[in-house]
Parts: sequence; C-alpha cells; structure tokens
Amino acid sequence: MSFEGLPKGTGAKKASFRDAIYFWEILRGLGVTIKHLVYNIFHTAEMPTMQYPEEKRVYSDRFRGRHRLMQREDGTPRCVACQMCSTVCPADCIAIQGAEHPDSEIEKFPETFEIDLLRCVFCGLCEEACPCDAIRLDTGIYEIAADSREKFIVQKDFLLNNKEDGTY
Amino acid sequence: MDIILETLSKIGFMFAVIMGMVVVLIWMERKGAAFIQDRTGPNRAAILGVRLAGLVHPVADVFKLLFKEDIQPSGRHRAFYNLAPWLVMTVALSTYAVIPFGDYLTVAGRKVALVTADLNVGLLYILAVASLGTYGVVMAGWAANNKYTFLGGVRATAQMISYEINMGLALMGLVLVFSHTATPGYLREFLGTDFLSGLRLTHLVAGQGELLWGFLPKWGIVVQPLGFLLFITAVYAETNRNPFDLPEGESEIVAGYHLEYSSMKFALFFMAEYAHMVIGAALIATFYFGGYQIPWMPRPVLEAHAGMLLTLKLIAVAAVGFLFALLFLRRTQREKGKFGDLRDNEPRLGAGLWLIVALAALGGLALRPWTLGPEGASLFASLMQVGAFLAKLVFFAWLFIWVRWTLPRFRYDQLMGLGWKVMLPLGVANLVVTAVVLTIV
Amino acid sequence: MAKLTIDGKELEVPDGTRLFDACTEARGKPLPHFCYHPDLSVAGVCRLCQVEIEGMPKLAIACNTIVNDGMVVHTNNERVRKASEQILEMHLINHPVDCPICDQAGECGLQNQYMEYGLYDSKVEMVQKTHKKKAKVIGPQVILDQERCVLCSRCVRFCNEVTGTGELGIYNRGDRAEIDTAPGVDLDNNYSLNTVDICPVGALTSRDFRFQKRVWMLKAAESICPGCSTGCNVRIDYEGSRIYRLKPRFNPDVNRRWMCDKGRMLYKAVHDEKRLTEPMKRSGGELQTLGWQEASETAVGMLKPGRVDLVLGSPHLSLEEAVLLRRLGLKLAGEDQLVGGVAGAEVRPGDDLLLNSDRTPNRAGLRMAGWQELPVAELVAKLREARGTVLVHGGNPAADESVREALAGCQHVLYIGTHRNETAGTAALALPGAAWAEKAGIFVNKDGRLQAFKSSIVRPGQAREDWRVLSELLAAAGEEEAPGSLRALRKSVGADLFPDVEFNLVALPARGVNPTAPVAGGEG
Repeated sequence: MSFEGLPKGTGAKKASFRDAIYFWEILRGLGVTIKHLVYNIFHTAEMPTMQYPEEKRVYSDRFRGRHRLMQREDGTPRCVACQMCSTVCPADCIAIQGAEHPDSEIEKFPETFEIDLLRCVFCGLCEEACPCDAIRLDTGIYEIAADSREKFIVQKDFLLNNKEDGTY
Repeated sequence: MDIILETLSKIGFMFAVIMGMVVVLIWMERKGAAFIQDRTGPNRAAILGVRLAGLVHPVADVFKLLFKEDIQPSGRHRAFYNLAPWLVMTVALSTYAVIPFGDYLTVAGRKVALVTADLNVGLLYILAVASLGTYGVVMAGWAANNKYTFLGGVRATAQMISYEINMGLALMGLVLVFSHTATPGYLREFLGTDFLSGLRLTHLVAGQGELLWGFLPKWGIVVQPLGFLLFITAVYAETNRNPFDLPEGESEIVAGYHLEYSSMKFALFFMAEYAHMVIGAALIATFYFGGYQIPWMPRPVLEAHAGMLLTLKLIAVAAVGFLFALLFLRRTQREKGKFGDLRDNEPRLGAGLWLIVALAALGGLALRPWTLGPEGASLFASLMQVGAFLAKLVFFAWLFIWVRWTLPRFRYDQLMGLGWKVMLPLGVANLVVTAVVLTIV
Repeated sequence: MAKLTIDGKELEVPDGTRLFDACTEARGKPLPHFCYHPDLSVAGVCRLCQVEIEGMPKLAIACNTIVNDGMVVHTNNERVRKASEQILEMHLINHPVDCPICDQAGECGLQNQYMEYGLYDSKVEMVQKTHKKKAKVIGPQVILDQERCVLCSRCVRFCNEVTGTGELGIYNRGDRAEIDTAPGVDLDNNYSLNTVDICPVGALTSRDFRFQKRVWMLKAAESICPGCSTGCNVRIDYEGSRIYRLKPRFNPDVNRRWMCDKGRMLYKAVHDEKRLTEPMKRSGGELQTLGWQEASETAVGMLKPGRVDLVLGSPHLSLEEAVLLRRLGLKLAGEDQLVGGVAGAEVRPGDDLLLNSDRTPNRAGLRMAGWQELPVAELVAKLREARGTVLVHGGNPAADESVREALAGCQHVLYIGTHRNETAGTAALALPGAAWAEKAGIFVNKDGRLQAFKSSIVRPGQAREDWRVLSELLAAAGEEEAPGSLRALRKSVGADLFPDVEFNLVALPARGVNPTAPVAGGEG
C-alpha cells in the first residue's frame, strides 16, 4: 500500500518528547505565572483595576449616556411626537402617544413618552433622527440601576428633568 | 484519662489547623489568581475599615452562605442528598488522624507523640479513607437527580478509581525504601523499635530525618523522584483540582456534582475541596518532603543549639516586623485620604501591629533566650518541627493553587490515557526498579 | 383602437383613453400627479403629469389629453424630468414641510414625488412662507390644514361629483388661494372621509385617526366591511392587537374607491369594552366567567340531541359559519326548529350611493345556506314554546324588545357571540366568538357576490373562531366529518352549495365572485 500523492495530514508538528512528558512545560508555565504574581505584589499601584465607586473612568464628551428630552423655553417638551425616533430605534424601546396641543402652531405634542432603558442599546440613532433636536443622549449618565424592571421604563417627566445625579 | 485528653487536644489542634487553612487557602486562591492575572482580587469586604488584604471576604462568604435559602430540587433523593456533603466533609477531615506533625512533645516529663493515631497501617488507612470520598461525590451527583450532577458523579468515580491505583503504586516504592531500615538513635527509645516500618507514617517521617551518604537529607523525593511525580499527579487527580477538575468542568457540565446544592450544603462541598487540598499538601509533605523534619537539623541538633536558634529567630522576627511596619508607613503616605472613610486608617493600623510584633520580639531578647535550659530546648525543638510541617503544608497547598491558575484542564480521554497508559506502567516500573536496587544494595 | 409609442414602447389602447392611463400602462407606474383621479373629472391643475408629445411645441399634461393614433410620447427625457422637478418646486414653495406632525407623512404624494422626481435644494429664498389656517375643523370627521394644500381640487370635485353635496370650494387667488367650506356649511356627509383618502397631501386628515399612529407602523389586511349588505372592500390598518382605521379597497364591481363614514367607524365595535372575551355561565342570576374546558362541557351537555328546541342563526355570520351552524342544527333538531333570524330586523334608511338599508353583511349568504327568517311575532311564539335549549349564534336578536322578553323566558339559552349585549344578558351560557376582523370568512353581498375577508388582529381574551366552536360541538354531537381547518370547511361548503359552479371557495378572486352572474369582474 502506498501513500504517495496523499495529503500529508494537517501539518501539525508531532509533539516532541519534551512536550509529551509535560514536565518541563509545566515548570515553564509555573514560571510565567509566578513572575506575574511577584511583580504584581510589589507593584500594586500599577494594576489597571479601577476601584469603581471611588474612582470613575472619564468618558469622552461624545459618550452616549442616558437620554433626556429637551425643553422649550416654557419648560414643555420640544418633542412633537413625530415618532421618527421610535421608527428608527433598532431596539424598539421608545413608545410615544401623540396628542393635540392647545397651541395650533405647535399642534402635536407627546402625551406619553416612554423609553425602556433595559431594551435601549444606546446607539444614538434616535437623536440622529429627531427633526426637532428634542432627544439627546448627552447626559453622560452610565450608572443606570433600579430594583425592578418597571422602573427602567422611564416616562416623559423623568426624561424632561434628567439630572446628572442619576437619581430616579 | 490522660490519653483521652491528649487525643482530644490533638484532634482539636488538627481541626483548627485545617479549618484555619481552609479560610487562608480560599483567600490565597482568590488573591493569588488575581495577582497572576494582573488583577487586584477581593479587597472590599471590611470590618470597621480593616480589610486584611481581602481576608475578610471568606468570613463574609460564610455569613452569606449561612443565611442563604437552602434550595433543593424536587426530584432529589432526600436522605442521600442531605448526607452527601457531610460524608465528603467527614472523609476529608478523618484522613488527618494518621499524619504526624512532630515527633514528640515533652509534657510533665512524659513524651507525647505528635500524631492523633499512630496506626501501624497508617498508609493503608489513608488510601482507604481517601477513596471513601468518592462516595460522597457520587451520592451528591446521583441524589440531586440532574443530568449534569450525575455526569459529574460518574466522572468523579472513573477518575478516582483510575488514579487511586497510581497513587498506591507510587507509594509502594517509598514503603520499600523505608521498610526495615534502622531507627535513628534518638528515637529508638521513644518509638520502641530498632527497625522502621514503611506503612507507619511516624516511621516514614522519622526515616526521612536521616542523611543519605552523609550530606543529602533522605527525603522521599530524593530516594523516589519518579515516585514523587506520579504521586503528586495522582493527588491532584484525587482532589479534583485543576488540571483534573473534570467532575465539575464548568464548560461542559455547569458545576458538576454539586450543581444542585446551595447555601451551607454548597459551602460544605466548597470547604471539603480545600480540606482535600490540605490533606493532599500534608501527604506530599509527609511522604516526600520529610514531614516535620527540618533538613540537616534533626531533634538532637535542634536541642543542642536551641538557645542560639531562638535568639536568631527573635532577631529575625524583629527585623521583619520593622520592615513591614516601614512598608505600611510608606502606604500611609501614599494613600492618604484615598477612600474618604474608615479604610484610610488601615495602613496606620498595620504599621502599628507590625511595630508591636517587632517590639515584642525585641522584648523577648531581654529574657536572654540564649540561656535556654534542656526542657525549654525540647519544647523549642517540638515547636520548630510543627512549624516546619505547617510551612511545608502551606507551600504545597499554594502549589495546588499555583498549578490551577497555570494549567488548562485535561480532556477526558487525555485524563484516562495519562492515568492508564502512562502513569500505571511508570508506577510498575518504578516499583520493580526500586525493589531490584534495594535487593542489590 | 389607437396605436401609440410611449418611451419607445409601442402599445395599443382603446380610442378615447386618456394619455395618462396609457402612460401608466406603458411605464408600469403612474406619472407624477396630484389632481388626476380615475373616478373624478379631469381638472388639469397640478401640471405635474406633463409629457412631451412629438410634433407639439410645448409639453402637454397627460391627464387631459386623449390618445391619438400614431402618437409618440416621451415621459422620462431631460425636458420632462426638468419640468416635473420645477412644477414640484412650485408646489412646495408655500408648503410648511411640517411632515413630523403631519398624519399624511408616509403616504403623502408630495413626499413620494419629491423622493422620486425632486431631490433638489430649494432655490426659493423666503423670509416668511405664506401662512394660512392650520388644524381647522371643517366637519364631524375631517380636519383641514390649509397650508399643506396643493390646491389639486380633488376634494372639491369629489363633493360636487360623487356626493353632489358641494360643501368645499377654492377661495381667493394666487398664493392666498385656499380650500374651505362654503360659509356656514360643514363638511358633513356620510362620505366625507373619502376626501381624506383622495387628498394627496396632509391638508385633509381624519379627526378619528388624528395623531393615533404613524402610517408606516401599520400593517394591512384585506377585509370586507360588515356594516351593510353592500359589502364594500376595505383594508384594515392595524398594529398589534389594535385596529387604527379602515380604508376602502378598490373593487370596480362593488364600491370602486369609496366607502362610507359609518363603515369606517365600525372598527370601534371590535375594541368595545363590552366585548365578550371569556366564556360566561349564569349562576345565581349573574354571568360568571369560566374556562373553555368547562364551558365546552356545559355546552355539549346543553346540546344533547332532543334537548334542543330552537337554533337561531344570524345574518352577521359568515357563509361558512351559517352552513356549519345549519349542519349542527339539523343534527340536533328538526328543520322547522331552525330560524335564520328576525325578518326585517336591522333595516334602516340607506342612501343611493353605497350605504344599503339592510345593515347586515351576509343576509344573502344566510339564505344561500338554506336558512329561513321569521317575522318577530312567529319567532316570539316559537320561543315561548321552547322548553329545552335555544342556541343563538351571532348578531343580537334580543335588540328587539319582544324577542328579548321571549328569550329571557327561556331557561337554557346558549349564545355564541362577540359582545355582552342584550342577547348575552338572557343567556345561560355565553361563548366568546371572534369579531369579523379577528377571523376569516366569506360574506355574500346583496347582489349575491361572494367576497372573502381575512383575519387581522389577535382575538381578545379567550375568544375563539366561531367555526372552531361549531366544529367542536358538531363533533360532540356525533358528526364524524367535522371540519378541522377553515380550508376543509370551505371546501365542503363549496361542494354543498355550488356543486355545479366552477370556482374555488378556498381562494376567491380579490374582487369576489358572483355565482349568479358567472361573467364576474370586468371594469364596471
């Protein structure tokens, strides 16, 4: 029987004797880990770990944090409930119900404006789509926590007064 | 009456050592893994701002697990499910009975052996009890009525059976070497025999206090290097530690046999794993690294130079104390007001404590330790032996951790291949060669 | 026949065809346009559909040109494209471009044509666009935004030509020209919402639909209006489990492109809070909800053969349901105990356009299935005699006071219906059926035309498709061939009712089919 012309396998090298008995390679591996250990014991200050609640990472100004709704000068929302944001939203996390505004120049305003922060992927397409610059993700808030799912569905009033202290 | 009191206090001592070691090992595991991986590891749990470099975490974990709800699967076998963790823990603790942590301690003129039970078949006892641990694991895996736990149990059985044989074979060589060798002179009276028995652990360790060719400690690793490698591999497999932790292989069977356990029952499994590590370390130290023996310093040497050694020791402690106090003081400067709470006091506290240690050691020097009497010298020698044993224990326990964070897990077929096709033939060969060499010499 | 060449493509069309329609045929899509509407007269005011006809010096509007033999027309050359772009720019000069708040956005002629033919930057630099009245309520159904209007005059022509009411007109001239109602007149006729449909921009919008939903979020399902026996073809615009509006669907044989306002509001009944959503059983004088399992068992117990005294159908049932109910009735009771409904009920004044005086969708279908209706007095007499179970399916026969009293006298009324109405109030057991929008079926209109409707939204609560309930009861009554699917049911109905006619009930043509006049279809 001839193996002429057949492929020569995967080309993986057969393990040498040194590799096959594990021993030296295990010692080498132990050497690598102990090097890290000893270095880190004497250089704790160089650790890349951040002590989070005390230390906080500084993000770029363009960082997309929690949303806010912009206000008109009289404090009412700029939003006209055109639903461009909920249309473009890839996570389908914005729900708006429009209603008749008493001022016929404004005509339409959001009766309800809900964002499900658990669904949101913070892509920022909503602020791109908004024709009125009514929604922005520029608060820089990234600490979004609550103790029930319902609390992550934030309403119009909350979004209009979205302060940077992160309180709900 | 005395014998009961003695035994109880020895059991108490070993129990304290093991439980203390478990806490320390958990801390060592987490912190060591972190440093190896360039992380800081646990450093947040604190009592009044004192974090002890993360040592408070195991304590916090214990309280957490104590108060957690004990969730049990509905389809479990109630009796076995509840029994399994206790069985595992009991077996883990009972192995220590035959491990000597010193030769003797002179109490009121009587020489008390520093081993809980000096069985003449101690080695067989260890092999027998260690294999009982499998039952707890299999029981847990089967009783929880979950396919993953069941697979974990099955894996554990196959693995332990395979490696128990290797473990026994490796030890046989050691038994051959030390059987019927002459008892060291200073122990002849205490042990009451002229020739050592290879199955008795006290004799094994006593034998290892001798020198080979007048300069080399006659440790197990020196006379049985291949046996040592086989034994340590088998011990790692027996304790289900990486690279042999297939019974709880997370990537395949979630958590293996203890998947369905929660609360304190899970904690028992967790602690049993570390208790097993401590046995493993104790066995390695006892069989291959001279147990409580300090190289070139058997009991007569220790007793003869006790005063000088104690003085040197106190000076060393004082020096280390001052050094650490200095290091803590430096941290005080560097980390001033870092957290803005109680934790800021920690470096100052550490500096104070180390300073007290150093001053105490200096104070000890004032008692003129170099004028130590024969009774004191005997006590000093015993304490040094216990200390040496504990130091070896810690080192080999650390080796377990070190290996875990270095090596990847074996595949199951690799595990079986290694056990049956590599280690078993090597073990047999080792035994034959040892026997032949002993016969010739 | 006239032979002409459009964009290099030769085609033959009947004499008298408008060039616009010929272009649509040749191009596969219509020319840009606002004012042209196939069912209205030609106004030629928007000037968007200009084409180049060889031999004519200027561009001509296609809508107001009749085809001629030998015409060579270009609809897509540089000159035409430039013209439509410029005309579009003219239209947009005073348009407020308030698309974000405009309900028409998404189905707006200006938007679509700008995206297709415009795409320029405005050359008109204006400090202030001409402002007109926004959000002006001009009738019970319609709201007017004069700024958005492009003055195509479709709505004016609709009111003049179709309804003949003439409420709307164009007032003033130049950029002050605006659509408005005549002084003191409201746009208040039964077809006013059609002006919203034909308005190519957002000038006329529906008050009912206003701000409810953006149109691109809606899904559409083909359906038939259940409001009267005309059977207008409609489109259900829905999202999730809610219907937002009904729109007419083109059917030249029934309703062309129109639909009445009454019909458009019928979707509200589907979302009525008095919907029957759970099976209900009378215990201690009150109706209590219960599960389907238990309800089915109770129903089967009530419908033991020999226990049933009367089976009452309804012209609100679909054809399939009517046939299936009749099969069940014949299994349980005698021929003379099956009553198709109250003769002459639900007849109210209609009009000569679409609204029929018979306000039930399927009376012809009911009769087709073999049911006979009875006058109130005879039905009441039968009910008075009834001691056993009375099975009432669909509709609300108890809307008639005397029928209600007679039903209330019966001890064992089993009602399958959609609402907690007067009939449900007399029932010992009420099973929730599906409303017309929630199930598929066939209605037969007053001319005998079979038209299929499809289901759109999900059924509320535990409501089930009626034919499934009937099929289950039929199986419980010992029928071995109770249909297991709507398809099977339709096949058997087709075989029962139309053994000789060549058509398939499973897949009716979009325009419906009239078995009494086999040459169905054709531009009528």
